[in-house]
Amino acid sequence: MLRFVYKNFKELKAKKEDRILRELFRQKLEYAEIIPDPSVSSKLMQKLAVREFLRFNPLRFNVYYLGGIIAAGIATLLLFSDSKESQGRKVPSQPYEIINQIPLKQEIENVKVSPDTVIENKRSVEKGKVAIRSRNASAGSKEAVDAKARVPESGTGEKYALTPGAVNNSLSVKELFPKQSEDNFKLREIGVQDEQLFETSVTEGCAPLKVAFRNNLSGYDSCLWTFGDGGSSAKNDPEWIFDLEGEYRVVLKIFGREGLVSVSSLVISVFPRPSAHFEIPSEKVSIPDEEVRFQNYSVSAVKYLWSFGDGSTSDQFEPVHRYEKYGNYNVALKVYSDKGCTDSLVVSNAFSGSAYYIEFPNAFIPNTGGPSGGVYSSTSDETAWVFHPSYSGVSAYHLKIFSKLGVLIFETNDINVGWDGYFKGQLSNPGVYIWKVRGNFSNGEPFTKMGDLTLLKN
Amino acid sequence: MMSDQQIIEGCARHERKAQKVLYEKYSRLLMGVCMRYASNKAEAEDILQDSFLKIFFRIKDFTGTGSFVGWMRKVVVNTAITHYHLNLKYRYHVDIEEYVSAETGSAGFDEDFYTSDELFMVMSELPKGYKMIFNLYAVEGYKHKEIAEMMGIDTNTSKSQYSRAKTVIRDKLDKLRRLRTSYPC
Repeated sequence: MLRFVYKNFKELKAKKEDRILRELFRQKLEYAEIIPDPSVSSKLMQKLAVREFLRFNPLRFNVYYLGGIIAAGIATLLLFSDSKESQGRKVPSQPYEIINQIPLKQEIENVKVSPDTVIENKRSVEKGKVAIRSRNASAGSKEAVDAKARVPESGTGEKYALTPGAVNNSLSVKELFPKQSEDNFKLREIGVQDEQLFETSVTEGCAPLKVAFRNNLSGYDSCLWTFGDGGSSAKNDPEWIFDLEGEYRVVLKIFGREGLVSVSSLVISVFPRPSAHFEIPSEKVSIPDEEVRFQNYSVSAVKYLWSFGDGSTSDQFEPVHRYEKYGNYNVALKVYSDKGCTDSLVVSNAFSGSAYYIEFPNAFIPNTGGPSGGVYSSTSDETAWVFHPSYSGVSAYHLKIFSKLGVLIFETNDINVGWDGYFKGQLSNPGVYIWKVRGNFSNGEPFTKMGDLTLLKN
Repeated sequence: MMSDQQIIEGCARHERKAQKVLYEKYSRLLMGVCMRYASNKAEAEDILQDSFLKIFFRIKDFTGTGSFVGWMRKVVVNTAITHYHLNLKYRYHVDIEEYVSAETGSAGFDEDFYTSDELFMVMSELPKGYKMIFNLYAVEGYKHKEIAEMMGIDTNTSKSQYSRAKTVIRDKLDKLRRLRTSYPC
């Protein structure tokens, strides 16, 4: 009964203390103010300006207006060059030229170019010229990415970078180029690509994903791979590593003697990798006496596989494990994402230094005020007046201290009593002494240790 | 001087001036919040920047019920949690220190005894995980259940981490007090 009351009292006290602690922190810190660096403000305003620039807002100059201006510029340029060419002027020898690209990567992302692009094919028979134009259909802006290419008159092997999944959303070219007569254009509707010109080792996988590409064609002059993440290669059969998750459109362009011959593309899906992370919560878990509760902090994983290092495993999210025997175990956690990507974390010697140890200092300064009897407590003896071990989980203990001449000057079976530096009521001389300890840990393992200690003069 | 209502309306219209006023008015307070979650000033400033961008662009989500400061605080806390999760992987730590659970001293924690700076120091020395939970529970006043949802952990995990953090903090405060009483300044 008394015990019950005592327990209740203790609980109440702990609750009260908890509240006091919380209030202390809340009062002092909830409205604590810190002055941020002045540079933060200017950096923030810069970032804000960029974001505002990309936001759709009819009242302000932003990316949409810029896009419109560029589109208009390209249209004019194209009209101009077309009319010059039809007058029979020699075209520059460069086989493939991109007249204009959208200026900034950022802007493209913002505009969210939809796959609904239409490729027009215009052929003027006498020149054998083919123009490829693609136009963003959904953003409603006047953006246009134009690519011009010359192909041989025979027109063999014409293939275009087509978008799988592109729909029959055809746009009249007249909208963009009203001055052109309809006869000059033949619209070609785009379907799913029929022929793949290259093969890949994999088309999907976990980041970082290494993909080997193999070009199925031969007998061409040169080729250019673009990997959709900003990288490109002119090798025949390149290898590429995609570092980050995402969908990447890989495009292969093949050039013959006369210019661009074929284009082929493929999407590589790179899945995110989960991240394995766990902690062993208690600083002092006494195995095998106590069970270990693992805390799982893994991110974006759906399946977990634990290996506790003693041969047993678990697939629980946060398992509780009891070890049969004391030891140093390597705890491993492997996590799987829904796409089958994995990550793992191994904590070696997870319980080292945790529950059972005994360590001695190698020097101390006795109190010159007189013998203290050697009783110490681990929290009060910050002055180090008593020579004693730091320990945990010790059940039996026997400490002896000898002088350099081999005289036993101190002996104890009580771990709570250390040596105060006195021998028969006299303060021992400064110098080196030898100690030896033996005993048992509470898990049954015996220990024997010896070493020297230096008695320092205060 | 603009009132909060005017500032909110201005920010909703993306007015540069209102955004500046909002920053000037609340950046110090929110920086204080960031600092409690971050391991250093640079990280705190990152969190602050991200938070303000979120505040500016999502100010329409603020319903007008409840306090505006409370809403901004929530945005900051969520941003801090996102940062914590992003950096978690590289922060695996093993505690070397052994915390001897001290006898719960009868002397309470008198609020005038410690300064905000000292409490800040004590808290910043906590392991990162403990610090998050302690902040959310003790200072921000969230319930363990809410913390578990925000952090994506178990409720019991939140509770046990909190009690552990408490033990560590109590030890440190005790030490501080002992130091103070033996060397009064």
